[in-house]
Amino acid sequence: MIAVIGLLVGVALGLVLKPDVPIGLEPYLPIAVVAALDAVFGAARAFLDGIFDDKVFVVSFISNVFIAALIVFLGDKLGVGAQLSTGVIVVLGIRIFANVAAIRRHLFHA
Amino acid sequence: MGLLPYLTAHALDEDYAQAAARRAAGTTAGGAAPRRRIGLAGALALAVFAVLAVTAAAQTSQDSVTQERERRDLISQVKDRKAAIEAERRTVARLRSDNGRLQSALLRNSSSAGGVLADLSLLALRSGTSAVHGPGVEVIVDDAIDAQSDRFKVLDSDLQKLVNGLWRAGAEAISINGERLTNRSAIRNAGSAISVNYTKLSRPYRILAIGDPKTLPSLFADSTSGQAWLDLQRQVGLRFSMRTQSSLRLPATEAPDLRFAKTATAAHGRGAS
Repeated sequence: MIAVIGLLVGVALGLVLKPDVPIGLEPYLPIAVVAALDAVFGAARAFLDGIFDDKVFVVSFISNVFIAALIVFLGDKLGVGAQLSTGVIVVLGIRIFANVAAIRRHLFHA
Repeated sequence: MGLLPYLTAHALDEDYAQAAARRAAGTTAGGAAPRRRIGLAGALALAVFAVLAVTAAAQTSQDSVTQERERRDLISQVKDRKAAIEAERRTVARLRSDNGRLQSALLRNSSSAGGVLADLSLLALRSGTSAVHGPGVEVIVDDAIDAQSDRFKVLDSDLQKLVNGLWRAGAEAISINGERLTNRSAIRNAGSAISVNYTKLSRPYRILAIGDPKTLPSLFADSTSGQAWLDLQRQVGLRFSMRTQSSLRLPATEAPDLRFAKTATAAHGRGAS
């Protein structure tokens, strides 16, 4: 319940405040969102597995976002920003798919 | 283990399992109950996630809107400028014709001008700044039927040959698709089209040449350019037709001002005199 409230509050805040992303951080935002998405799906799966842990979720969320942004930053500095971003997106995408598959098994027993 | 199987096997962060194991060990040791509710910190992280996602989505849609608006702005600017140039051109043409009219009126009224008016109209006739009419030939050339490549199209060099041949055959004034040729006209490829006097032409090309209608066609056919065009017609399939006309009217052109060329006098002329 509190999770849904948190989500709704976040959406409302984002819509109302419309935070202006600094131009320097703009390239990192999309990949940070994908990384956060991975953390959220991981947490959902852990919740259904019965091993959810608040602290682990928060830590994995922050580290995921941070590392994703860091990788893009490093890639930009090394001149392989686009390729590294693609790599990160692929890895996170596979993880998200695997976690969603596990969630599906829990919810539909299929 | 390959990379892909590893990724799918470890999709869930191992920390969850480890934390659960630690908790299980703690419980058996008589600690707190297993905690699997989402607490305030988790909700906060979810809120942050929602803000991030909404911001990213808003940013993306806003960017695309901005880009689209910029594109439209640029297009409308281009259109405005084009219209402005067109208007200026019309003004220039109008002023020129006014100028010519006033000039001739002035010269006609002054008694001392004498033959200046006649000289002026003759010069205008020769330089292409006044419209001319007279007998001549009408030549229509076009690309080959079903022209696939440039080889089967009328090129700027083909038109140059044609015009050269017509001058050679005694043409006194020539226009291509209503563009009068002067001593400063260039026939050249500009992009995919042929341009004359900085105006793009489109096929078919209609060339009007004023001259002796009796001799122009035969002299043209005898010239090397005429032969070259005969070859083009036969081998490449370019379309070519020449008809004599008893009366043709060729338009005037705006002659650009001369900025560097000055009349060479005995004092200044250094070349052959």
